[in-house]
Amino acid sequence: MTIIDEPLALESGETYAEKPLGILTRPQAQGGWKDWVSTVDHKKIGIMYGVAAMFFFVVGGFEALLIRTQLAFPDQGFLSADLYNQIFTMHGVTMVFLFIMPLAAAFANYLIPLQIGARDVAFPRLNALSFWVWLSGAIFLNTSWIVGGGGANCGWFCYSPNSGIVFSPTHGVDFYAIGLLITGIASLVSAVNLIVTCLNMRAPGMDLMRMPVLTWMLLVTQFLLAFALPVITVALLLLLFDRTFDSQFFDPDAGADPLLWQHLFWIFGHPEVYIIILPSFGIISEVIPTFSRKPIFGYTAMVFSGIAIGFMGWGVWAHHMFVSGIGPISVAAFSLATMFIAVPTGVKILNWLTTMWGGKLHFTTAMLFATGTVAMFTIGGLSGVTHSLAPADTQQTDTYYIVAHFHYVIFGGGVLGLFAGAYFWWPKVFGHFLNERRGKINFWAMLIGFNLTFGPMHVLGLQGMSRRIDTYSAGYGFDFWNLMSTIGSYLIAVSVLVFFYNVWKSKKEAVDLPPPGPDPWDARSLEWSVPSPTPEHNFDEVPRVESFDHWWFQKYEIDDDGKVVRIAETEAVAQDGSATGVHLPSPSFWPLVLAIGLPLIGYGIIFNLWLCVVGGLLTGGAIYAWVFEPVDDPDAGHDHDDHHDDEDGDDELTAVGAGSAGDEDGEG
Amino acid sequence: MQRTTTVSDPRVRSRRSLPGLFILFGLVLAGCASDAELDTLKPQSETARQIDDLLDPVLAIAGVVLVLVCGAVAWLGWKNRVSSYEGDDEFPEQMAHNNTLEILMTGVPAIIMVVVAVMTLTTHLDINSYDDANAMPVVVEGASTDWEPKIVVVGNQWWWEFRYYFGEDVTADSLGSDMKNLPPADIVTSGQMVIPTGQEVELLVTSRDVIHSFWIPALNGKRDARPGFFAPWKIEADNPGVYFGQCTEFCGLSHARMRMQTIAMTPDDFQAWIDHQVQPATDPTGDAALRGKDAFVANCSGCHLIEGVNGSEDIRAAVESGAAPNLTHFASRTTFAGGILFTYNEDGTFNRDDVARWLREPEVVKDNAANDLPDGTLPRGMPNLGLSERTISDLVAYLETLGPRPTDEIIADSEVE
Repeated sequence: MTIIDEPLALESGETYAEKPLGILTRPQAQGGWKDWVSTVDHKKIGIMYGVAAMFFFVVGGFEALLIRTQLAFPDQGFLSADLYNQIFTMHGVTMVFLFIMPLAAAFANYLIPLQIGARDVAFPRLNALSFWVWLSGAIFLNTSWIVGGGGANCGWFCYSPNSGIVFSPTHGVDFYAIGLLITGIASLVSAVNLIVTCLNMRAPGMDLMRMPVLTWMLLVTQFLLAFALPVITVALLLLLFDRTFDSQFFDPDAGADPLLWQHLFWIFGHPEVYIIILPSFGIISEVIPTFSRKPIFGYTAMVFSGIAIGFMGWGVWAHHMFVSGIGPISVAAFSLATMFIAVPTGVKILNWLTTMWGGKLHFTTAMLFATGTVAMFTIGGLSGVTHSLAPADTQQTDTYYIVAHFHYVIFGGGVLGLFAGAYFWWPKVFGHFLNERRGKINFWAMLIGFNLTFGPMHVLGLQGMSRRIDTYSAGYGFDFWNLMSTIGSYLIAVSVLVFFYNVWKSKKEAVDLPPPGPDPWDARSLEWSVPSPTPEHNFDEVPRVESFDHWWFQKYEIDDDGKVVRIAETEAVAQDGSATGVHLPSPSFWPLVLAIGLPLIGYGIIFNLWLCVVGGLLTGGAIYAWVFEPVDDPDAGHDHDDHHDDEDGDDELTAVGAGSAGDEDGEG
Repeated sequence: MQRTTTVSDPRVRSRRSLPGLFILFGLVLAGCASDAELDTLKPQSETARQIDDLLDPVLAIAGVVLVLVCGAVAWLGWKNRVSSYEGDDEFPEQMAHNNTLEILMTGVPAIIMVVVAVMTLTTHLDINSYDDANAMPVVVEGASTDWEPKIVVVGNQWWWEFRYYFGEDVTADSLGSDMKNLPPADIVTSGQMVIPTGQEVELLVTSRDVIHSFWIPALNGKRDARPGFFAPWKIEADNPGVYFGQCTEFCGLSHARMRMQTIAMTPDDFQAWIDHQVQPATDPTGDAALRGKDAFVANCSGCHLIEGVNGSEDIRAAVESGAAPNLTHFASRTTFAGGILFTYNEDGTFNRDDVARWLREPEVVKDNAANDLPDGTLPRGMPNLGLSERTISDLVAYLETLGPRPTDEIIADSEVE
C-alpha cells in the first residue's frame, strides 16, 4: 500500500507562532470532546452538522405540533394569538435555516470530498468555522425565547413594515435579523469552501462531467448560496438599522416603499427553495440507480437540468408577489418564467422514472424514501404549476393551499430525500446499518402522516382558509380537515420517534451483526471504495478516475452484447484503510473561539454595546491567532518524520495526494 | 346567496366529469362542506369565473400528470421489484441515455407549459383590464351624477374601511400619498363594502399601517393593501348577496380576526343605501340613548366620528393607523369589531350582549396592542377605556339607534351558520 504523507499545505515558513496570543496550541486530541470541538475533519464536521440539524428538527417539529394542536378544533385558545404568531414564525425559520440547510450541509461536507476522491475540503479550518458559526447563530436565534421577550413574530419572510419596531416592539425580530446574519456567514463561508473543493480538489481523471449527480447538485447549491446570501444579508442589515438606529429604509411614513423588502427577501428566498431541494435531488439520484441496478438515466440532462433550475431560480422571485401590486406586466413576465422552470424539473422526474424503468428495484428503506420523494415532490411541483397561473394565484396565495404546496416541496421533496440519504449512507458513516424493518415502519408512518397532514391543506386552501391565522371559526367548513391534518402531524412525530429509536437500537444491535463492509449496497460512486466507517484519511490511495461511475466499473464491465459481467470482487478492489501516517490537516480551536464572539456582538447590538466590544475582541483575537497559528502543526502526531524531500519524485502518487488534498498554502 | 350552490349546478356537474384525481379530491371534499363561505371554487362573478375557468383545465392536466407519475412510481415499483440482489448476477439492460426519449421528455412538458402559458396570459390580461365606460347614474343628496364605480379600500390593524367618492373621479393622484389623511369622502363605512350588482367596481386598495390583503374569494382574487400605494383592483357580483372575506396577508397580532364582507345590492337598493348613508346620524329618543350620546362625546369622540354629533370630517385618531371606524351608521352594518362580531342576533334583535362585551373588554374579545403601552407608542386596536356598566349600557342603547336597520335577508346572510 502506497503511503502518502505529503502535507495538505506547503510549509508556511517561520511566520507562525506556536502559541498565538499565548494560549491554545494546535490541539492533538484523538477522541473525546476536545477532538470534536477542534476537529477540522470534514467527516466529523458533517456528523456534527447532522446531529445539530436533527436537534433543531425536533425543536421545529415541536413547534409544528403546537401549531397543529391549536388548529385541531375551531376557536381554540390553546395558544394565545401572540404566542401562535411567534411559534409559526420560529417553526418556519427553524425548519429552513436550522434544519434542512444544515442537514444538506451535513451531506455536502461528508460526501463531496469522498465523491470526488479528495482527502478533505479545500479549507478545513474554514469548514470548522462554518459549522461553529452556524451553531452559534442557531443557538443565538433560539435564545430569544428566553432573553428576547419571545421569538420573532413576523412570519419567516418578515414583511416590512410589520417587522418594524412600531409593529413588532419585542426583540424577537432583532434576534431573527442577527441570527440569520450569523448563520448566513456560515453558509457563505461553506459555499466558497465547497465550490473551491469541487473545482480544485478532484482526483485525477475526475472531470466535471464525471462527478456524481449528488456532488453536482451540491455544487449548484453552493453557487446559489454564494449569490443569494449577500442579498438577504443586505436586507437584514437594513432591517436591523431601521430597528436599532432609527434609519428609514422600510418606513412608509418617510416615503419608503415596503416592496423593497419583498424584492430583497425573495431574490434570496426563491433560490433558497432550490438550495433546499437540490441536495435532495442529488441524493435520490444516487439512491435510485443503486437500487435499480442501472446507471442514472440521462446523466448529462440531469446535470444540466440542475444547472438550469439554478439559473432560472433567479428569475422567478416575484411570483411570491403576484398580489402585491407590482403591475400586470411584471406579473405576466414572472408567471411565464415560473412556468418554464417546470420543464427542467419535469426532466428530472422523468429521468428518475426512466432509471427505474426496466431496472431491478430493491426496496430498501433508502429506496422507499427516494421513490417517495419522486412521487411527493411531483405533487408539490404540480401545485406549483397551478400557482404559476398568476390569476389563479390571486385566489391561492397566502391560503393553506400554498402551505400545502411548499410542504410537499420542502418536506415531500426535501426532507424525504434527506432521510433516503440518511438510510443510504448510514453504514458508510457509522459502520453499521440502520435496521431495515424499523426503517420501513419509519417510512410508511412518515409517508402516511405527511399526506394526512398536508393533503387536506389543499382542500382547506381552496375552501379559503388563510394561512397564519391563529384560529378559525366554526361554520367555514374548515373543521374536519384541520382535525385530519393535526392527526397526521402527530403521525409524523411518531415516525420521527421511530427514526430516533432506530438510530439508538441499531447501534446497540450492531455488535452482534456482521459489519457492512465497504460497499454494502453494490453502489456506484467513490465513497463506497473505502472502508465503513470511512477512515480518517478517506483514501489510502487517491483513485484515478477513468469514467463516470468509476467505482462501479472497477467491479463490473459491460461486454459487447451489453451484458454486465463482474470482473472483480468488491473486497479485491476496495481500499482497506490501512494506510498510516497520512498527513492530515491539524485541528484548531480558533474557529470555535471566533464563532463564540459573533453572538456576543449580536447580544451587544440588542442590549448593550459594550458586549459588542467583548465579542469583537474574541472574534478579532481568534482571527489574529488563526492567522499566526502554524498552518500545519509541526508536532502533529503522525508516526514518522516529515521529510517530504525524501519522497519527492519517488512516487508519482505523492503529487496526486498533494493535488487532490489541499494544494497551495491556501488552507483555511 | 352564494351558499345556495348545489350539486345540480351544471358547472359543478361538468367539473366532476373532468378527469383527474386532483379535481375529484378537491371537489368532492369541498362538496362535503357546503357552508364553506370562503370557497374559491364557487365563483359568483365574471372575474372569479374567469379565474376558475383557467384553473379547472390546469387542475385537470395536473391531475393527469399526477396520476401518471405516481402511478408510474407505484407500477414500476411493483413490477420491477426484487427482494434482494443476493446471488443474483443478472443485471438489467444498462440504458444510460436515449436521445429520442430525452428530447421527448423535455419537449412534451415544454409544449404543455406553452399551452398553459397562453391560457394564463389571456386570462391575466382580461382580469387586469378595467371597464372605462361603466358609469352609473346615482343620486347623492338630491343631485344626480354619473358615478364611475370606484371605492377606496383602506386596511388598518385590524379592520377595513371603505370610502365612496361620488362627486369627482378619484385617482391615486387625487387621493395623495398620506394614507392617514385622505380627502373627505361622501360615505365612509367599515367592515362591509356595499356594491351594486352587475356593475364592475374599481377598487383602490391601500393601508394605513402594515400590509394587509383584501380578498372576497367568491368575487375575485386578492390584492395586497400596502401603505403609500393605491393598488388597482376590481370587484363585481352577479347576484345580490353577502360575500365573505378574510385578510390574507399576515398583519400582526389579530390577523386571524380581520374579516370583511361585500354586500351586493340591486342598483335600486344600492341607491337607497346611498340615500341614508350620506345623511348624518339621527338624534336618538329615549333617556338611555340620549345619555349614550353624551357618553359617546365624552369617551369615544376623540377617535370615532358620528356625523352630526362630533363633526363631519374624518378624525385623526390617536392610534397607530390614525383612524378608527366611522360609527355614523353603526347599526346599518351587520358586523363590527373588524368583522368578527355580529350586530344583530339570529332572531333579528340588536346584539346588545356582544356590543357591550366589546365596549367592556375589547382586548379579551379580540387580541390587540392597545393597553399598557410602552412610552411613545400609540395603541393598535380598540383600547379598554374602563367604562362603567352604566355607561356601557347607555352607549349600547345609543349605538342601536344609528341605523337604519339592514334587511332581514342581509342580517341572516351575513352571519356564519
